[in-house]
Amino acid sequence: MAKDPFETEALSHMDALYRTALRMTRSEADAEDLVQETYIRAFRFRDQFTMGTNMKAWLFRILTNTFINSYRKKTAQPEQTELDDVDEFSLYRRMTDTRSASASPDPEAEILGAVVDTEVTDALGELPEKFRTVVLLDVEGFSYKEIAEMLAIPIGTVMSRLHRGRKFLQKRLYDLARERGIAAVRAPQKG
Amino acid sequence: MDCDECLKRLYAFLDAELTEDEVLAVRSHIAGCEDCGDNFGFEKRFLEQLKEWCTSGVAPIDLRERVIALVRGGSPPAT
Repeated sequence: MAKDPFETEALSHMDALYRTALRMTRSEADAEDLVQETYIRAFRFRDQFTMGTNMKAWLFRILTNTFINSYRKKTAQPEQTELDDVDEFSLYRRMTDTRSASASPDPEAEILGAVVDTEVTDALGELPEKFRTVVLLDVEGFSYKEIAEMLAIPIGTVMSRLHRGRKFLQKRLYDLARERGIAAVRAPQKG
Repeated sequence: MDCDECLKRLYAFLDAELTEDEVLAVRSHIAGCEDCGDNFGFEKRFLEQLKEWCTSGVAPIDLRERVIALVRGGSPPAT
Protein backbone atom coordinates (compact mmCIF):
# COMPACT_ATOMS: atom_id res chain seq x y z
CA MET A 1 0.00 0.00 0.00
CA ALA A 2 1.33 3.43 -0.94
CA LYS A 3 2.20 5.66 1.98
CA ASP A 4 -0.46 8.20 2.81
CA PRO A 5 1.26 11.23 4.44
CA PHE A 6 -1.97 12.32 6.12
CA GLU A 7 -2.43 8.88 7.66
CA THR A 8 1.20 8.60 8.73
CA GLU A 9 1.18 11.93 10.48
CA ALA A 10 -2.27 11.50 12.01
CA LEU A 11 -1.36 8.13 13.51
CA SER A 12 1.90 9.52 14.93
CA HIS A 13 -0.17 11.56 17.41
CA MET A 14 -2.10 8.62 18.84
CA ASP A 15 -0.09 8.31 22.06
CA ALA A 16 -0.61 11.99 22.85
CA LEU A 17 -4.33 11.78 22.03
CA TYR A 18 -4.77 8.65 24.13
CA ARG A 19 -2.95 9.84 27.26
CA THR A 20 -4.95 13.10 27.13
CA ALA A 21 -8.23 11.23 26.54
CA LEU A 22 -7.43 8.93 29.47
CA ARG A 23 -6.94 11.87 31.82
CA MET A 24 -10.03 13.64 30.47
CA THR A 25 -12.40 10.69 30.75
CA ARG A 26 -10.65 8.87 33.64
CA SER A 27 -11.64 5.57 32.03
CA GLU A 28 -9.58 3.37 29.71
CA ALA A 29 -12.66 2.20 27.79
CA ASP A 30 -13.96 5.75 27.31
CA ALA A 31 -10.50 6.98 26.32
CA GLU A 32 -10.25 4.30 23.63
CA ASP A 33 -13.72 5.17 22.31
CA LEU A 34 -12.87 8.87 22.31
CA VAL A 35 -9.63 8.36 20.38
CA GLN A 36 -11.33 6.05 17.90
CA GLU A 37 -14.12 8.59 17.35
CA THR A 38 -11.54 11.35 16.93
CA TYR A 39 -9.80 9.41 14.14
CA ILE A 40 -13.06 8.54 12.42
CA ARG A 41 -13.96 12.25 12.31
CA ALA A 42 -10.46 13.32 11.32
CA PHE A 43 -10.48 10.98 8.32
CA ARG A 44 -14.05 11.90 7.41
CA PHE A 45 -13.09 15.59 7.34
CA ARG A 46 -9.52 15.23 6.12
CA ASP A 47 -10.22 17.59 3.21
CA GLN A 48 -10.58 20.40 5.75
CA PHE A 49 -6.99 19.93 6.88
CA THR A 50 -4.16 21.66 5.03
CA MET A 51 -1.00 19.55 4.96
CA GLY A 52 1.91 21.44 6.45
CA THR A 53 -0.24 23.18 9.09
CA ASN A 54 -0.37 22.01 12.70
CA MET A 55 -1.95 18.55 12.57
CA LYS A 56 -1.55 17.89 16.29
CA ALA A 57 -3.60 21.02 17.08
CA TRP A 58 -6.20 20.02 14.50
CA LEU A 59 -6.57 16.52 15.97
CA PHE A 60 -6.74 17.87 19.52
CA ARG A 61 -9.49 20.27 18.48
CA ILE A 62 -11.50 17.29 17.25
CA LEU A 63 -10.69 15.37 20.44
CA THR A 64 -11.79 18.15 22.79
CA ASN A 65 -14.94 18.90 20.79
CA THR A 66 -15.89 15.24 20.73
CA PHE A 67 -15.24 15.00 24.45
CA ILE A 68 -17.26 18.10 25.26
CA ASN A 69 -20.18 17.07 23.04
CA SER A 70 -20.55 13.43 23.97
CA TYR A 71 -18.38 12.06 26.74
CA ARG A 72 -18.70 14.93 29.16
CA LYS A 73 -22.40 14.24 29.60
CA LYS A 74 -21.82 10.78 31.02
CA THR A 75 -18.70 11.48 33.05
CA ALA A 76 -19.35 12.02 36.73
CA GLN A 77 -18.43 15.62 37.40
CA PRO A 78 -16.84 17.03 40.49
CA GLU A 79 -18.84 20.00 41.74
CA GLN A 80 -18.51 22.92 39.36
CA THR A 81 -16.50 25.69 40.94
CA GLU A 82 -14.41 28.66 39.97
CA LEU A 83 -11.59 27.58 42.31
CA ASP A 84 -11.00 31.18 43.33
CA ASP A 85 -9.93 30.00 46.79
CA VAL A 86 -6.69 28.54 45.40
CA ASP A 87 -5.81 31.62 43.35
CA GLU A 88 -3.25 32.89 45.83
CA PHE A 89 -1.84 29.53 46.90
CA SER A 90 1.91 29.29 46.41
CA LEU A 91 3.74 26.06 47.08
CA TYR A 92 6.96 28.04 46.83
CA ARG A 93 5.78 30.39 49.62
CA ARG A 94 4.69 27.47 51.83
CA MET A 95 8.11 25.93 51.47
CA THR A 96 10.09 29.08 52.14
CA ASP A 97 7.91 29.60 55.24
CA THR A 98 8.64 26.12 56.56
CA ARG A 99 12.23 25.88 55.38
CA SER A 100 13.72 27.51 58.48
CA ALA A 101 11.80 25.08 60.71
CA SER A 102 12.65 22.10 58.57
CA ALA A 103 15.36 19.53 58.92
CA SER A 104 15.37 18.91 55.19
CA PRO A 105 17.84 20.82 53.04
CA ASP A 106 15.61 20.41 50.00
CA PRO A 107 11.89 20.35 50.85
CA GLU A 108 10.96 20.91 47.21
CA ALA A 109 12.61 17.67 46.12
CA GLU A 110 10.99 15.97 49.07
CA ILE A 111 7.51 17.04 48.05
CA LEU A 112 7.72 16.71 44.27
CA GLY A 113 10.00 13.69 44.36
CA ALA A 114 7.75 11.73 46.72
CA VAL A 115 4.67 12.10 44.56
CA VAL A 116 3.64 8.88 42.84
CA ASP A 117 1.78 8.65 39.54
CA THR A 118 -1.50 7.53 41.07
CA GLU A 119 -1.52 10.60 43.33
CA VAL A 120 -1.10 12.89 40.35
CA THR A 121 -3.89 11.02 38.58
CA ASP A 122 -6.11 11.44 41.65
CA ALA A 123 -5.25 15.13 42.01
CA LEU A 124 -6.01 15.70 38.31
CA GLY A 125 -9.27 13.79 38.73
CA GLU A 126 -10.30 16.11 41.54
CA LEU A 127 -9.61 19.12 39.37
CA PRO A 128 -12.91 20.30 37.84
CA GLU A 129 -13.08 19.43 34.16
CA LYS A 130 -12.83 22.88 32.59
CA PHE A 131 -9.57 23.47 34.46
CA ARG A 132 -8.24 19.97 33.83
CA THR A 133 -8.78 20.27 30.08
CA VAL A 134 -6.73 23.47 29.90
CA VAL A 135 -3.91 21.96 32.01
CA LEU A 136 -3.82 18.86 29.79
CA LEU A 137 -3.73 20.89 26.57
CA ASP A 138 -0.94 23.05 27.99
CA VAL A 139 1.34 20.10 28.83
CA GLU A 140 0.90 18.91 25.24
CA GLY A 141 2.65 22.11 24.16
CA PHE A 142 -0.21 24.22 22.84
CA SER A 143 -0.09 28.02 23.12
CA TYR A 144 -2.74 30.07 24.96
CA LYS A 145 -4.10 31.11 21.56
CA GLU A 146 -4.34 27.53 20.28
CA ILE A 147 -6.09 26.40 23.47
CA ALA A 148 -8.48 29.37 23.29
CA GLU A 149 -9.39 28.44 19.71
CA MET A 150 -9.86 24.76 20.52
CA LEU A 151 -12.22 25.47 23.40
CA ALA A 152 -13.80 28.63 21.92
CA ILE A 153 -13.01 30.67 25.04
CA PRO A 154 -11.10 33.97 25.41
CA ILE A 155 -7.31 33.87 26.00
CA GLY A 156 -7.85 35.56 29.39
CA THR A 157 -10.02 32.61 30.42
CA VAL A 158 -7.32 30.16 29.32
CA MET A 159 -4.82 32.05 31.48
CA SER A 160 -7.00 32.13 34.59
CA ARG A 161 -8.02 28.47 34.28
CA LEU A 162 -4.41 27.44 33.77
CA HIS A 163 -3.32 29.51 36.76
CA ARG A 164 -5.99 28.10 39.05
CA GLY A 165 -5.57 24.56 37.76
CA ARG A 166 -1.86 24.63 38.53
CA LYS A 167 -2.43 26.19 41.95
CA PHE A 168 -5.07 23.58 42.77
CA LEU A 169 -2.63 20.78 41.89
CA GLN A 170 0.12 22.39 43.98
CA LYS A 171 -2.20 22.63 46.94
CA ARG A 172 -3.37 19.00 46.61
CA LEU A 173 0.21 17.74 46.36
CA TYR A 174 1.18 19.87 49.35
CA ASP A 175 -1.76 18.49 51.37
CA LEU A 176 -0.80 14.95 50.37
CA ALA A 177 2.78 15.50 51.46
CA ARG A 178 1.56 16.79 54.82
CA GLU A 179 -0.76 13.83 55.27
CA ARG A 180 2.18 11.54 54.71
CA GLY A 181 4.07 13.50 57.32
CA ILE A 182 6.98 14.48 55.16
CA ALA A 183 9.31 16.29 57.54
CA ALA A 184 9.83 19.31 55.37
CA VAL A 185 6.18 20.21 55.27
CA ARG A 186 5.15 19.58 58.85
CA ALA A 187 3.62 22.66 60.32
CA PRO A 188 6.35 25.00 61.47
CA GLN A 189 7.04 24.68 65.18
CA LYS A 190 7.68 27.51 67.51
CA GLY A 191 10.87 27.69 69.54
CA MET B 1 8.51 46.56 37.74
CA ASP B 2 7.85 45.60 41.37
CA CYS B 3 7.44 42.11 42.89
CA ASP B 4 3.63 42.09 42.52
CA GLU B 5 3.75 43.03 38.86
CA CYS B 6 6.51 40.51 38.28
CA LEU B 7 4.63 37.65 39.98
CA LYS B 8 1.47 38.52 38.03
CA ARG B 9 3.43 37.67 34.88
CA LEU B 10 5.06 34.54 36.28
CA TYR B 11 3.17 31.89 34.32
CA ALA B 12 2.92 33.92 31.11
CA PHE B 13 6.71 34.35 31.31
CA LEU B 14 7.34 30.63 31.87
CA ASP B 15 4.84 29.75 29.14
CA ALA B 16 6.72 32.03 26.71
CA GLU B 17 3.60 34.14 26.19
CA LEU B 18 4.98 37.62 27.04
CA THR B 19 6.02 40.30 24.58
CA GLU B 20 9.73 40.95 24.18
CA ASP B 21 9.50 44.15 26.26
CA GLU B 22 7.72 42.37 29.08
CA VAL B 23 10.28 39.55 29.05
CA LEU B 24 13.07 42.10 29.44
CA ALA B 25 11.27 43.85 32.28
CA VAL B 26 10.68 40.55 34.13
CA ARG B 27 14.29 39.46 33.58
CA SER B 28 15.62 42.73 34.89
CA HIS B 29 13.46 42.50 38.03
CA ILE B 30 14.46 38.88 38.69
CA ALA B 31 18.13 39.73 38.29
CA GLY B 32 17.89 42.07 41.26
CA CYS B 33 15.35 40.18 43.40
CA GLU B 34 16.44 36.86 44.87
CA ASP B 35 12.98 35.96 46.20
CA CYS B 36 11.24 36.41 42.84
CA GLY B 37 14.13 34.62 41.14
CA ASP B 38 13.75 31.62 43.46
CA ASN B 39 9.98 31.69 43.03
CA PHE B 40 10.27 31.62 39.22
CA GLY B 41 12.85 28.85 39.45
CA PHE B 42 10.58 26.78 41.64
CA GLU B 43 7.53 27.23 39.39
CA LYS B 44 9.61 26.37 36.34
CA ARG B 45 10.63 23.06 37.92
CA PHE B 46 7.05 22.43 39.00
CA LEU B 47 5.80 22.91 35.42
CA GLU B 48 8.49 20.60 34.06
CA GLN B 49 7.49 17.98 36.61
CA LEU B 50 3.79 18.43 35.82
CA LYS B 51 4.50 17.95 32.15
CA GLU B 52 6.43 14.77 32.88
CA TRP B 53 3.56 13.43 35.02
CA CYS B 54 0.92 14.22 32.41
CA THR B 55 2.65 13.06 29.26
CA SER B 56 3.42 9.49 30.25
CA GLY B 57 1.63 6.53 28.72
CA VAL B 58 1.13 5.10 25.25
CA ALA B 59 -1.94 4.01 23.32
CA PRO B 60 -2.81 0.30 23.71
CA ILE B 61 -1.72 -1.82 20.74
CA ASP B 62 -5.21 -3.14 20.06
CA LEU B 63 -6.57 0.40 19.88
CA ARG B 64 -3.86 1.28 17.35
CA GLU B 65 -4.74 -1.75 15.24
CA ARG B 66 -8.45 -1.02 15.42
CA VAL B 67 -7.95 2.62 14.37
CA ILE B 68 -5.67 1.65 11.48
CA ALA B 69 -8.26 -0.87 10.24
CA LEU B 70 -11.02 1.74 10.54
CA VAL B 71 -9.25 4.54 8.72
CA ARG B 72 -8.16 2.24 5.92
CA GLY B 73 -11.80 1.44 5.36
CA GLY B 74 -11.71 -2.17 6.51
CA SER B 75 -13.96 -3.49 9.22
CA PRO B 76 -12.45 -3.27 12.67
CA PRO B 77 -11.18 -6.48 14.23
CA ALA B 78 -13.59 -7.92 16.78
CA THR B 79 -12.84 -6.77 20.33
